Amino acid sequence: MSAERDRGFALVVGSAIVSLLLVGAYLAAGGSSYAPAKTQNPCKPRPWRNPEGLQQLAEQFSLSALDGAACELGVSRETLARALATPAARERFAKRYGIGEAELAKAIRAGLLRAVDDAERAGALNPLIADPLREAVRSIPLPEAIELVRDARTLLDNLQSFLGPAQSLLEQFLP
Amino acid sequence: MSPAPPRPRLAALAIAVGLVLADSSIVVLALPEIYRQLDTSVAGVTWVLVSFNLVIALTAVPAAHLARRVGPGRAAAVGLAVFAGAGLACAASSQLSTLIAARCVQALGGAAAVTAVLELLPATVGSERRAATVWAAAGATGAALGPAIGGLLTQLVSWQSIFLVQVPIALVAAVPILAVARHEAATGVLSAELRRTGRPHLLANLALAMVSAAIAAALFLLVLLLIEGWALSPIGAALVVSVMPLSALLGSRSGGFVPDAKSRAAAGALLVSGGLGGLALLPKATIALTLPPQILVGVGLSLVLSALTETALSGRAPQAIHGGWTISARHAGVVIGLLALTPIFTADIAQQRHDAIDAGTAVILDSKVPPLTKIDLAQRIEDRLEGERGKVPTIGPAFDPLPSDPAEREAVVQLREELQDQLDRGATHAFSASFGLAALLGLAALLPIGLARRVEL
Repeated sequence: MSAERDRGFALVVGSAIVSLLLVGAYLAAGGSSYAPAKTQNPCKPRPWRNPEGLQQLAEQFSLSALDGAACELGVSRETLARALATPAARERFAKRYGIGEAELAKAIRAGLLRAVDDAERAGALNPLIADPLREAVRSIPLPEAIELVRDARTLLDNLQSFLGPAQSLLEQFLP
Repeated sequence: MSPAPPRPRLAALAIAVGLVLADSSIVVLALPEIYRQLDTSVAGVTWVLVSFNLVIALTAVPAAHLARRVGPGRAAAVGLAVFAGAGLACAASSQLSTLIAARCVQALGGAAAVTAVLELLPATVGSERRAATVWAAAGATGAALGPAIGGLLTQLVSWQSIFLVQVPIALVAAVPILAVARHEAATGVLSAELRRTGRPHLLANLALAMVSAAIAAALFLLVLLLIEGWALSPIGAALVVSVMPLSALLGSRSGGFVPDAKSRAAAGALLVSGGLGGLALLPKATIALTLPPQILVGVGLSLVLSALTETALSGRAPQAIHGGWTISARHAGVVIGLLALTPIFTADIAQQRHDAIDAGTAVILDSKVPPLTKIDLAQRIEDRLEGERGKVPTIGPAFDPLPSDPAEREAVVQLREELQDQLDRGATHAFSASFGLAALLGLAALLPIGLARRVEL
């Protein structure tokens, strides 16, 4: 009877140890944190990587604009990026979050303004280019604003090629 | 007229129990296929499982009373015939509602058969104690083997074949039982054996319900994780989850070294909880890492189910009624487990899908891939997400064809891997809370098991 009880006790204790070992090993291997990476709050400033060349500048500009617009709308930068991928995606996004065209346009313009500010602050955009860009952004229609977020290269290229010589000229006359 | 010889009769009775109790879990691996073919929701398809278990839980005890009144041989034979006929109806169902209705009828027949068999077993194996052991072992084996067999049939033939295969098996098992029924009719021996029914073993049945809820969650959630989360085929998932019945066989052999049923029950509940805890804390989306937890659940379920069933039946008469209570408790546990956990994991899947897609988008936005490639990829991924609405998306095809430029190609391949990693994380994490809750249910069963050590009801 005592041997029977001992075997029963050993079975219970052994089972508890094996179970704890398994759970402990999985915890130690990172089981409690195996989840998708958390996305960053778009309202918090993101470090502006030093852009080399127009393509990188345009990309950094787009990411900053996305952050600004997402912050304005109260969604993640990633959700907004997917919403702007296609007109159908934009429609679904508008329906899901109850956001109208006017609200979206306002948010994207705010995002673009933040991108101009960020670029200027990071020294990536000359003030001579930044100011007219701000003016342009304030009244830009929604489709063009979205296009600008998706790919700002053309606009930045045009502004630089237009204002670049003017800037050189001014620099010659100004102290 | 004499009943069938003992050996074929024992085989027929064990098959009948195994077949019916396998049915509570056999469709688990077919659920994703049924979900797609019958165009329903995850919560809706869960009722293919829930309805069967709910009807068995509600009718097992009345069915046992009926079996004693009309004769267990007759009740078992009719029960198996109803089970087989309803199986045909299940296979012919083209709508979720008719499938669920047929499953309810199947459960009615199953409840009659499985409780009546317990009344027939003592005469076949020589004692009530041995009968309880055979009955519990056949039930545990059926429940453990169910998902793997269901998965194989779904992949090799179709989900309908699961029900079609059961028809001849049920009819073959009914043949020796029919001989018993004819013997009953000729002699009227069973009507003379009606005895007063004692109280059911409350603590053992309560523990059975709790542990069954945890085990049902283990099977159901693991299958969904493998097929819907990690995109395994039903046959692949069947191979993976077959570790559980194999481990259950090992557990049933080792359990013989410890005669104390309550120690086996406590050890089994601890192992089931430990295994579920491991599944809740998977550190990577790898099949190999599901194996140790499955071994623990498999060994644990064989120990705890047989020990609690033996305890619930020990010294209690009539066996069919108390067997009915254990069947009722087990299936009620399965229903509670499924109904409690389904809303939790469906909400978690939706949340994790969203988080994983957000994390994947962040990977794309911050990657070194050229902006135009990013825009193109974003559009293709958005299309795929829309196409696989509500499910964990398979993202690979969105990256085809890969860019021809070697540097860009390398960056895109790396991006695809990082994105898939985020999706794997989301798919795996979506099940963590449910596995964790199921582990707690298994641990909670230690309370009635522990109380039963001191208070023998």
